[in-house]
Amino acid sequence: MNEERYIVFDQYLQDELSAEEKVKFEKELSEDPELASAFETFKELNLHLENKFGNADEFDSFKENLKSISNAHFKASKPKVINFKPWIYLIAASVTVLIGLFLFNPNPNFEDFNQYENAYFTERGDVDKNLKQAEETFNAKKYKAAIPFFEAVLKEKKTPEIQYFYGISLLEANKIKDAEVVFNELKSGTSIYKNKAIWSLALSKLKQKDYKSCKEILLTIPSDYEDYDQVQELLKELD
Amino acid sequence: MANNAIHPDQIYIEGLANNNSAIIQSIYKKFVPKVVSYIRNNSGDEDQAQDVVQEIMILLFNQAKANKLQLTCPFDAYFFLLCKRKWLNELKKSSNKGVTIDEDFASNNEPTEEMVTQTEAFEEKQQLFDAMFQKLGDKCQELLKLSFTIKSMEEVAEKLNVTYGYVRKKKSLCIGQLTQWIQENNRFKSLKIT
Repeated sequence: MNEERYIVFDQYLQDELSAEEKVKFEKELSEDPELASAFETFKELNLHLENKFGNADEFDSFKENLKSISNAHFKASKPKVINFKPWIYLIAASVTVLIGLFLFNPNPNFEDFNQYENAYFTERGDVDKNLKQAEETFNAKKYKAAIPFFEAVLKEKKTPEIQYFYGISLLEANKIKDAEVVFNELKSGTSIYKNKAIWSLALSKLKQKDYKSCKEILLTIPSDYEDYDQVQELLKELD
Repeated sequence: MANNAIHPDQIYIEGLANNNSAIIQSIYKKFVPKVVSYIRNNSGDEDQAQDVVQEIMILLFNQAKANKLQLTCPFDAYFFLLCKRKWLNELKKSSNKGVTIDEDFASNNEPTEEMVTQTEAFEEKQQLFDAMFQKLGDKCQELLKLSFTIKSMEEVAEKLNVTYGYVRKKKSLCIGQLTQWIQENNRFKSLKIT
């Protein structure tokens, strides 16, 4: 390999050659097509690597955004299509002008998305009283009352399942900071509650009306998450 | 190649490059349905159409980011032809399945075909560059990755625990190695349009 050649290429691109060296190099380029073509390739490679590694973050966020738009589009194209007449758009547009963007495109509500599955911790004959109470109060949506029971259970035995339901109770009881701590712990684990925890974190942001963070979190949920429908629905409403 | 005027549809290219959700959505709304129905009429289904579209969008993003995408024809025709050709290629790859393609290749829309050729050449070049990069030794790969992520070569040197002079030289030589392989590669030669 002609090492010297490539070192000069790089110096030229970094603008590190002296004025004379530069003139000399450019003259060589114009006289030697083989050199010129190698230099072209060298330059293109620099650009390519710059794009590939320098803009990797941008590329990743584009890909994620694209994926969610694409999923929303293809999902929406299957079921019912509401046929808006153009004049409705006109009215809607003028209403928008009058009342402002806010009413036309209201932000989604936490209450539209906080439906949870029931807890089924205990089997018949199970004797853990706290666990039983936790389950019953949770399923009765008495979240505040459920918290101490969960805490008692967790003291004995910490499982992702109990942690998850405990987190939900905290979130519903407006102990948002504590809830987020629980969800973050689940998120960094590998249990089957990992994605549910991320979804719950997004809900927590939604509850705080922090729509931007909510969306960012939603975009990190992989599309094989069992309730991905909800993720897409919420994403759509956030847009 | 003559420098044709840039088509107003260049906004779609810029929108992709800027990851502009509204523009991306409008591409899906306006141009994707046609692609979907084409693919469905030619031995494909909706999921396959979704994948093809996504691949083309990523390709356009990359080409736009490399500042090499200046649209001289309507986006509609360009996008459709790209998707269509990608799909036909996929069919060809799995053609042992006995597919039927209803084909009318005789579109003589020159600016569009020229644009499509450029984009496909860009894609092939990218794939070649990536393949060559994979051929590099681990040391070179790591050094290049760092050089282009961190940007300051002083920091790269520090991180790798070597001198600044060494990383600079090594970087030149690693890219030099790639240059040489690519020069030797026939595929590249046939692709070159300069």
